[in-house]
Amino acid sequence: MSEFEYLRNVTVGQYIPTESIVHRLDPRTKLLAALFVALAATSTRSVLATLLLVALLMGVTRLARIEVRYVLRGLLPAAPFIVVLMLMQLLFQGRFSVCETVYWEWGFVRITPCLIELVILGALRLVIFLFLVSLLTLTTTASHIMHGIETLLAPLQRIGLPVHEFALANIIALRFIPTIAEEMERIAKAQASRGGDFGGEPWWRPDRMARARLPLIVPLFVNTLRRAEELIVAMEARCYLGRKGRTKFVDLHFTGLDWVVIALSILLWVVLWRTPWPTFT
Amino acid sequence: MNISTRSIVVAGVLIAISAVLALTGLGYFPVPNVTASATIMQVPPIIGGVLEGPLVGAVVGLVFALDSFIKFASVVTTSPAYANNPTMGWVAAFIIIFLPRLLIGPAAWWVYKSLRGGNEIAALGAAGVAGSLTNTVLVVGLAILLQVFTFEIVAVVIPQAVFEAILAAVVTIAVVAAWKRIETGRGGSSV
Repeated sequence: MSEFEYLRNVTVGQYIPTESIVHRLDPRTKLLAALFVALAATSTRSVLATLLLVALLMGVTRLARIEVRYVLRGLLPAAPFIVVLMLMQLLFQGRFSVCETVYWEWGFVRITPCLIELVILGALRLVIFLFLVSLLTLTTTASHIMHGIETLLAPLQRIGLPVHEFALANIIALRFIPTIAEEMERIAKAQASRGGDFGGEPWWRPDRMARARLPLIVPLFVNTLRRAEELIVAMEARCYLGRKGRTKFVDLHFTGLDWVVIALSILLWVVLWRTPWPTFT
Repeated sequence: MNISTRSIVVAGVLIAISAVLALTGLGYFPVPNVTASATIMQVPPIIGGVLEGPLVGAVVGLVFALDSFIKFASVVTTSPAYANNPTMGWVAAFIIIFLPRLLIGPAAWWVYKSLRGGNEIAALGAAGVAGSLTNTVLVVGLAILLQVFTFEIVAVVIPQAVFEAILAAVVTIAVVAAWKRIETGRGGSSV
């Protein structure tokens, strides 16, 4: 039955109230810190530095009193994809490699230190991004994230961009992610009970995989749009009129700790970016 | 800019579907070539564009862009053209990955709007194909233009592009046709 457990592996969009120090931070602080850590992850080409970043994020997860295992579980569904991507990079990217040292060469396959570095870096960055998004949603309520995004993007409102609407759409999305994963489980079980076959297709036959997934994906879209319709009626019945004349229940304010966290995350970015970390080349 | 409650909510749920497809891996099919995967991640922006217009299509496309950026940016930044200039590599990755995804929804909307006067089903199919091809053609075109891949990649990508376009057309027709019937109260089954 494990092939039907989509919800168990979707850690993004679920909030775990553990009242930790990470939970108490201002949502804007967490959004900005996540941005700087993402920048740090993308600005270094060192596997060592990237591994340190993964360790740091695991530390922050423990600080938030959340099981690291729980966050890592979110990687499981993407694992086959990551493995295939790594394999394809190893097979096809080697001939573009700029490294002079070659470990192994056969036809167009060329394994170099730079290539191995690239493949490991790609996988580690994926883990970092998953950690960032999961940590943000596991430690911050949906409404706080929305207010955080809206406040941070407020300057763009002056040039006519629909910031409030964008933030609201994102918060609806965050609220719906677990619901949709649950819906997907229900549809998969319903289709399987009618004789549908999921997960039995060989990975090298994308056409068969697509045919097997269609009875899952089409009802998912239709059922979700039906839920959306209910939400639209509920919002309009409560006279939702967009940002015009709207007041806020949540009042955000920075504390000293928030400034320290922002400063540290900027420092982390600069250190990872400017330090000549050891690389494979 | 006046945006209806309907547009905001539809954008929200389609972003959520995109995220679930990305997080569960159901939006990708492994294929044995340099791209490593064929995808149906272009379908939510196409449906967003067809149902609620270009803005919703573009916003929903952002999730696909973000997911691709996380997964594929390193392929661009470590290509020989940018190996010694990582900053330009990131700029190129941003252009190659974000621009096409933002245009999927608007392209689907434009094709659907132009053709819906005739056969509605054909218009939906054409919108699916147009959205999917916008993604493939622009990603591959920009990658060649910005020297990440050579022109040889086109031969590798054509079968995949056809596969993705057919899949996008099938899902778009199935979903939007079913949804519009529900909207007009002519029934529809629930699972």
